Amino acid sequence: MRKHLLTTAIAATLVSSTSVLADTSDLKIVEGDPLQLTIQMNHARYPVYKEDWPVEQQAREWTNVHLNDVTVGSNMRTDENSGKTEVLNLMLASGEIPDIVGSSRIKDFVNQYGPEGAFLPLNDLIEEHAPNLKKYFDERPEIAAAISAADGKMYYIPYLPDGKYGRAYWIRTDWLNKLGLEVPQTVEEYEKVLRAFKTQDPNGNGEADEVPYFARQWPELIRLVTLWDGRSSGSDTYHDFMVNEGKLEHPYAGEGYREGIKNLARWYDEGLIDAEIFTRGSSARDFLLSENLGGSTHDWFASTSGYNRLSADIEGFEFKAMAPPASVSGKRIEEHRRIPIKPDGWAIGGTNEHPIETIKYFDFWFTEPGRRLANFGVEGMHYDMKDGKAIFKQEFLDQGPVNRSLYQVGSQLQGRGYFQDYGYEIQWSNEFALEGIKLYDEGDYLIDQFLGVAFNQDEQKVYDRFWGSVRDYMLERQQGWILGNGDVEADWDDYTAQLEKKGLGKVLEVMQSAYDRQYGNN
Amino acid sequence: MQPESRINRIIHHLQREWQIYVMLLPTIIWFIVFLYKPMYGLQIAFKDYSIFRGVAKSPWIGLEHFEYLFSNDQFIRAVWNTIKISALNLLFGFPAPIILALMFNEVLHATYKKTAQTIVYLPHFISSVIIAGIVITAFSPSVGIVNTVLEWFGIDSIYFLTKPEWFRPIFVGTGIWQEAGFGSIVFLAAIAGVSPSLYESAVVDGANRWQMMWKITIPSILPTIIIMLIIRIGNIMEVSFELIILLYQPATYETADVVNTFVYRQGLQNGQYDFAAAAGLFNALVAFVLVMVANTLSRRYSRTSLW
Amino acid sequence: MSGVQLSQLVKRYGDIEVVKAIDLEVQPHEFVVLVGPSGCGKSTTLRMIAGLEEISAGSVTINDRVVNRVAPKDRDVAMVFQNYALYPHLNVADNIAFGLRIRKTPKDEVDRLVAEVADILGLTDYLKRRPADLSGGQRQRVAMGRAIVRHPMVFLFDEPLSNLDAKLRSQMRAEIKRLHKRLDVTSIYVTHDQVEAMTLADRIVVMNDGLIEQVGTPMDLFLNPANTFVAGFIGSPPMNQFDALVSGSPEAPIAEIGDQRMALPSLPELSERIGSKVTVGIRPEHAQVLTPSEHLVHVQLEIVETLGSEALLHTTLENNPFIIKTETEGYYSKLEEVSAFSVDPAQVKVFDIETGRVFGQSGA
Repeated sequence: MRKHLLTTAIAATLVSSTSVLADTSDLKIVEGDPLQLTIQMNHARYPVYKEDWPVEQQAREWTNVHLNDVTVGSNMRTDENSGKTEVLNLMLASGEIPDIVGSSRIKDFVNQYGPEGAFLPLNDLIEEHAPNLKKYFDERPEIAAAISAADGKMYYIPYLPDGKYGRAYWIRTDWLNKLGLEVPQTVEEYEKVLRAFKTQDPNGNGEADEVPYFARQWPELIRLVTLWDGRSSGSDTYHDFMVNEGKLEHPYAGEGYREGIKNLARWYDEGLIDAEIFTRGSSARDFLLSENLGGSTHDWFASTSGYNRLSADIEGFEFKAMAPPASVSGKRIEEHRRIPIKPDGWAIGGTNEHPIETIKYFDFWFTEPGRRLANFGVEGMHYDMKDGKAIFKQEFLDQGPVNRSLYQVGSQLQGRGYFQDYGYEIQWSNEFALEGIKLYDEGDYLIDQFLGVAFNQDEQKVYDRFWGSVRDYMLERQQGWILGNGDVEADWDDYTAQLEKKGLGKVLEVMQSAYDRQYGNN
Repeated sequence: MQPESRINRIIHHLQREWQIYVMLLPTIIWFIVFLYKPMYGLQIAFKDYSIFRGVAKSPWIGLEHFEYLFSNDQFIRAVWNTIKISALNLLFGFPAPIILALMFNEVLHATYKKTAQTIVYLPHFISSVIIAGIVITAFSPSVGIVNTVLEWFGIDSIYFLTKPEWFRPIFVGTGIWQEAGFGSIVFLAAIAGVSPSLYESAVVDGANRWQMMWKITIPSILPTIIIMLIIRIGNIMEVSFELIILLYQPATYETADVVNTFVYRQGLQNGQYDFAAAAGLFNALVAFVLVMVANTLSRRYSRTSLW
Repeated sequence: MSGVQLSQLVKRYGDIEVVKAIDLEVQPHEFVVLVGPSGCGKSTTLRMIAGLEEISAGSVTINDRVVNRVAPKDRDVAMVFQNYALYPHLNVADNIAFGLRIRKTPKDEVDRLVAEVADILGLTDYLKRRPADLSGGQRQRVAMGRAIVRHPMVFLFDEPLSNLDAKLRSQMRAEIKRLHKRLDVTSIYVTHDQVEAMTLADRIVVMNDGLIEQVGTPMDLFLNPANTFVAGFIGSPPMNQFDALVSGSPEAPIAEIGDQRMALPSLPELSERIGSKVTVGIRPEHAQVLTPSEHLVHVQLEIVETLGSEALLHTTLENNPFIIKTETEGYYSKLEEVSAFSVDPAQVKVFDIETGRVFGQSGA
């Protein structure tokens, strides 16, 4: 595998030097000697930046801009979930900011330090020198608004995921058949099915060891409050704020949430939910499915559909996506979706002496050849063009996990600002995933997401000061209620009073003002 | 002439003893680089710190961070939790290695002793992540050994790791399991340093093993015990927070959230170093006062002290 | 009768025998010193008597009772250790009282005994001090106090003075001697220092390589060493020894060393040795350089070592080192010119060159 990659790398240089592709001379940013720029790149998914990635080689050849790796703390990972940006802090503390900085979780970082001068504002540069970026942002103004800092300026070009669907409800359809049940369409039916899983021994081992509902991340249990018209998060980040008709709210302070928690506590008590949901951790899905114990979950399309390979070991195993059950009021909601803008991407360092060439370089990745390069790798090496579509070479798909293969040639790097093409993923999604996506597409269950706000300094202070405590308190009570430690109905008034006392109102206030400023609501 | 001759004396001294100073150098450098230089950065506890602006250029804000800390009841709770966990640790975790060392000292069979020692040392070398995994599995309600045993006695299984009242016993117990063996090494070394003739003399005087342990071994290693205790008290605010992070849940914050985890959640995750520094400074102050008190008391009443 | 008998006493560590079937009878009230070079088995012997080492074979009898299987505390012995074995965390009084308390002696009895012992040892003013605050001599006295407070039947001393400096040592020697006189308890004392042995002992047991070489009063050992080992161990400086050829007649045997001739005592064994070699021993004190004599033995003087009233003349006798001890008073200036000595044949010892056994004496 490794050797294979090496040969492709060598081949890359050969192919590109004898390229017979369409004329790409207009992609050139500088004439004569190549322009040398420094880059820092970190991402949770691929620990190091490599100048000799075939995709980087190709980009060099086309643009005549050479990126030189000066990454500080490479191999250190920024933490996707907690938002830790230790590596970026380290880079900043070292005193030198490279010409280009690309990272996961870069948004809050550049929005904090950009206005202080650490990064260049991009609006004017885009306006004047980056026609492709300008076109994209003009078409989708909400994106420019979402990534702007409190001073109204953009400081990074984001990685823009394509495709809408992230997670879905999954259920052991073979168990349903065995017990003579239909796919549940409402929360009541869902409850009955889960209870049947618990009590009617669908795995047939004579023990009531089935785990009807399980999740790799315990907040996916809280997600179920949507079945009682509650909400668990406004975005693809857990426990996030949400927007309700232009007003910022927190889902954990809503009536539906209370109702949902009350019922989930009942489910938990009845054993319909994995008793160890809070501690089982990331191996829950792998363990419970391969042990023939897990009944239903809420998880990603692509990776979860892959478990149908277990049918080789477990007779009849079939784990299929189902439409979100209708809530008590009859609404079907899939709360999770792929966020259209990630906080990942790249920015221009404040000391960059070639801002115009750099923004042109960023712009290159939004051209058609650039976008294809970012999504599929190098033509002739990783993919071929068929009917105007980029189709991966079969041997490339066969190399192993496609995402990993792409990282290893320098494509789909999310520390790079680019616009993803969902076409890249469809080519290797399995039939169960595609079937599920089709189901969700037909139902149109997705809801709008809260894309985040950029605080000014005073707002940031209020947020920092109160939000942590409020969130801790929310989660503490949430788990307590589920585990039967207190009764949500009885505690609710005290709970909302405590939230207010701990400053939820103040946090909502600054969020609202930032939101209004950013999305032009006033 | 006087100052010159002093300089000459120093030069002469250095010429003669320079090897000693060269040996001292790494320690001095280590202290300067890792302890004294960072002290400069402590001032960010009183500043609105931005990494980009740097320590010097960030504006002073006085005690704002501290005011926030003490107005936050979760912080106050974390301080109490820290003290409670540390006190339990001190109460049960501190004597454990001493008892273990005394027990090892009474084991006469060499192979058996070596094997037993190796077994109890081992957990020390396991990383916190794996320890946490072991604990989570052991206390799991479905497959955990603890609940399995409970079920033999007809007791319903308990989801220990989500019960606030169980967190401290589990955490302190884990700490003892992990560190008691390794911690016993220093006491075993102290016991090994007790002159055999003290025991022989006691044998001739007619003391039995129990009397020898109480009247000779324990008093002889008492200075070591006291020094270790003072050091331990100095670390009272430093609860091993990796393990807590790995074991706690929002459901158990009530008893599990300590100052370090609070700072980690509230401060470091959002890059609020100034705030974290303020909490750290508070921790250090408490620890400093405790060490001073412990040391003074010990010097007065047992003639043993760190300095 | 609180005597101690060792009979065929053996100590083995694995295959190594460190004490090789020794027999010894210590009379009641006697002060016996075991002396020998390090590793000779003397301490091991003492520890077997105390019960700190198991006995591999043979027996130890204390007070007419075989104690092989008796626990140390029930042997009614007390031991004083080389490094005092004081408990650093206890003060002098508590150290002395330790053994009594272990035995649950009533409190006022303990106080009385401690006060008595402190008085005997001159420790009354130091009772509240800790060992760390005492001088070496005081610590040694505390260690002895711990032993005597129990009024044991046998005292065992394991090189108790070897940690003290020379002056203190001689002082403490005198004190131990006095104490023994006063308490009159059977004592067995181990040392590697022959001077200590000579000054303290009623009888000395010279040990070497796990065996007893000779048992006798100090003067007996000094004047009549049983063999070359004892001759070389007892006395300071030790007896001069060199090999010589026996000639002359059985009535008047003569030792030939190179060109030198020396009269030997007329001993029955020597008559068979004429024409063969023997080891000749002469005490440094017995070589006369000051009185004129016809039978001079010539030596080469190398160094004069003056000790005050006495001097040691380091010489060579036909390439054998030979030390002469002589008085200095009035002769000091002449010592540099010494080139010969004379010796009374009666004071010359002759040893078998093979076995080292002395001629003219029976037994070891």
